[in-house]
Amino acid sequence: MLDKLLKKHETYLFLIIIAYAVVVTSVNRSFMTFENLFDILRSGAGMGILAMGVLVALLSGGIDVSFTAVAISGGYIAVRVIMATGVDNLFAAFAISCSIGIVLGLINGLIISYFKLPTLIATLGTLNVFHGALTTFVGTESVNARQMPSCFVNFGSAKIITLVSEQGSKYGLSVFVIPLVAVIVLTWFILRFTMLGRGIYALGSNRESAKRAGFNITALQLFVYSYIGFLAGVMGVVFVSEVRWVNPVTLIGTELTVIAAVVIGGTKLTGGSGTILGTLLGVAIVTILYNTLVFLGLSAAWNNFFVGIIIIISIGITSYRNRIKNRKSLSFKT
Amino acid sequence: MNDDFLIVDNVSKSYVGVHALKNVDLKISSGSIHCLVGENGSGKSTLIKAIAGVIPIDSGEIIINGKTYTHLHAIDSIREGIQVIYQDLSLFPNLTVAENISLIQMVEERKKFISWNEMEQIARRELDRIGIRLKVDDLVEDLSMANRQIVAIVRALTQDARLIVMDEPTTALTKGEIDSLFSLISDLKNNGISTLFVSHKLSEVLAISEKVAVLRDGMMVGDFETSDLDTNRLVFHMTGKEIVHSIFQYQGKKSGEPPLLELKDLTKKPNYSDINLSLFRGEILGITGLLGSGRTELALSLFGLNRPESGQIWIDGRFQTMRRPGDAIRAGISYLPEDRHSQGLFLQQSIGNNLIVTILSRILNKLRVISEKKKLESMNRYVRELRIKTPTLDTPAESLSGGNQQRVLFGKWLATDPKIFILDGPTVGIDIASKSEIHQLIKKLAQGGMGIIVISDEINEVFHNCNRILVMKNGRIAAEVDPQHTTEQELTDLVEKKNGVAS
Repeated sequence: MLDKLLKKHETYLFLIIIAYAVVVTSVNRSFMTFENLFDILRSGAGMGILAMGVLVALLSGGIDVSFTAVAISGGYIAVRVIMATGVDNLFAAFAISCSIGIVLGLINGLIISYFKLPTLIATLGTLNVFHGALTTFVGTESVNARQMPSCFVNFGSAKIITLVSEQGSKYGLSVFVIPLVAVIVLTWFILRFTMLGRGIYALGSNRESAKRAGFNITALQLFVYSYIGFLAGVMGVVFVSEVRWVNPVTLIGTELTVIAAVVIGGTKLTGGSGTILGTLLGVAIVTILYNTLVFLGLSAAWNNFFVGIIIIISIGITSYRNRIKNRKSLSFKT
Repeated sequence: MNDDFLIVDNVSKSYVGVHALKNVDLKISSGSIHCLVGENGSGKSTLIKAIAGVIPIDSGEIIINGKTYTHLHAIDSIREGIQVIYQDLSLFPNLTVAENISLIQMVEERKKFISWNEMEQIARRELDRIGIRLKVDDLVEDLSMANRQIVAIVRALTQDARLIVMDEPTTALTKGEIDSLFSLISDLKNNGISTLFVSHKLSEVLAISEKVAVLRDGMMVGDFETSDLDTNRLVFHMTGKEIVHSIFQYQGKKSGEPPLLELKDLTKKPNYSDINLSLFRGEILGITGLLGSGRTELALSLFGLNRPESGQIWIDGRFQTMRRPGDAIRAGISYLPEDRHSQGLFLQQSIGNNLIVTILSRILNKLRVISEKKKLESMNRYVRELRIKTPTLDTPAESLSGGNQQRVLFGKWLATDPKIFILDGPTVGIDIASKSEIHQLIKKLAQGGMGIIVISDEINEVFHNCNRILVMKNGRIAAEVDPQHTTEQELTDLVEKKNGVAS
């Protein structure tokens, strides 16, 4: 039993988190509080949603770097439309944002399937095209907290549980966890219980074999990229509600952090291998580091440094274990 | 005949400028065992892919079960009962055995949701049907080659297959496993399932098949009854030429001459143990044995890639430690690997670059920069001497035929002027004409004084090209044989018998 646990990448991630928690708590006791935990959950919810999408893309043997542009497009347009039409309804917001997400995702999927472009190049291109289109055709007006429609503001401040701290201030678990959990469950269900999910793993594992087995590669790819678009749409609404100040130039540039979290979680960049638990742990590590290095007295400038170290350690562990396995069987595949 | 399951009628297929298939006809009847042979480049893979519906044909028809198809799709072919097991097995390495076995069935049944229980049950049931024990939860990438082959075959059988096409299925199997495979194919026949077996190993082709279809340069030379064929006639149909075999004559060692290579009690568990051998100048020493006997592991140790635990390596009377390939190369050893694609060639680099990569330090000019003149001289020299067929020096290595790729590898190592050349499976997957030319090359090198070790599965090859043959079993040297005083059959028996009892 212990043997099997030690073989799993997720075990090492758990250990890293626990070790970190112990170190930080010994320096600053306020790390181990519900308040901090709720805070981390709220900050990490958006990244968690996007990470599920990146996981699916990587599993299929591809990659998508355009999701931030899709997310901000969805979110920003939803805000502007609601401001313009006065339909102050959260579900309308999600509907608008997710529809935009699916459409943009489909564009990615079509480019990748029909032009057979490498996924990195294609989505790098669409990242810029979507972003450019947003700023050119929709505008660059920022929307600040006063102008923000109330559905977003309420969503951003709503809590599931509310507690009172020792100092008497109120804090609570943000409702952001609801879309996060919903996305996780949906992704888990698709990957584990549907042929669609198996097809994605097959495609990432061995594309030619998947073709020969009769899988419809085009349909699979269209699904993968639309799904990411959909998730980006969800995250877009979460993001604008969280930040309460939205401008089309934000969020872009954070793609690599999300991808880093997924990779830390043990997902192979070559495809076919990766787990939801691992991805969530990866997101947890990155979010915790970003949020709590201040507890150690380190400024935000140290965030990237530590995330970088964790990436290297995490990939290093997997890579090392792989090499030992190969060396034993004299297979020189590095 | 009306119980022909598959009829390929006048099928042609071209790729840009190249006719892969020209007016090919083939008939496969139900419950028959058919073999497809042909040199590399003859069109075998293209024909298989056409039958499987993976590539479209330019003209002609494919008639399966009486139904005519001009545009066959993979899913149609699968539904009609044609299952292809490609040489790379087309498995999903990151998925489990159970998933690999059941997935195709689920795709074919257009299922939307999967039940893990069901997949496991299907897998176990199919494995039991064939009588194989495998853990269905294991990831395929962790399985041995033979077990992967079994998974591929079991997968093919879950589909109510009527025709199973196997592309070079025996390359990585032991003799025992090959026998099991053949009895499986006979069982299939008794159940009305046809097998189309593509192979380079002519002895196997003649042993298992009822009919042999021969392709040459994209055209079907003929579909022969196996009983009308023997090896020479088959080779003649495949190449259009007669190939002559001659035994290698060793000059004999000069008196008092120390061995070029001497191994004393070399051991590396669990690969091999207590290896003692000597190799003299001008000898071609053959090492043969079943899969897993330790031959390649021993060769890797001589090249610094598998450091031995104990024992000694002496080269030309001097003790050597082999920690890395650099040590071996400096000591005058060259090694031609089993897998030339992933371990020998730089596939995307030009042929020229592949040829000089081992002697970069020797083609520098006074400024320690690579001299164009010396570089071209070396490249051209080896292309000429080895008769490498290529349009230019800049052609990427991956576009050459197997035989020519092997020549490039020979060139690359000969450029280092080795004293000892270890060849691991030097003619695997190479067409017959090139094979015999490479054998000539090896003999010429030996006559020039090089000590050569040939590691091979093919009894025929070691028999006609070595003056001494060592048989390895379970990591030890079990016997030494002189081809001038034995027959091929005796050697085959020696290799295959288990613990003194002929299998």
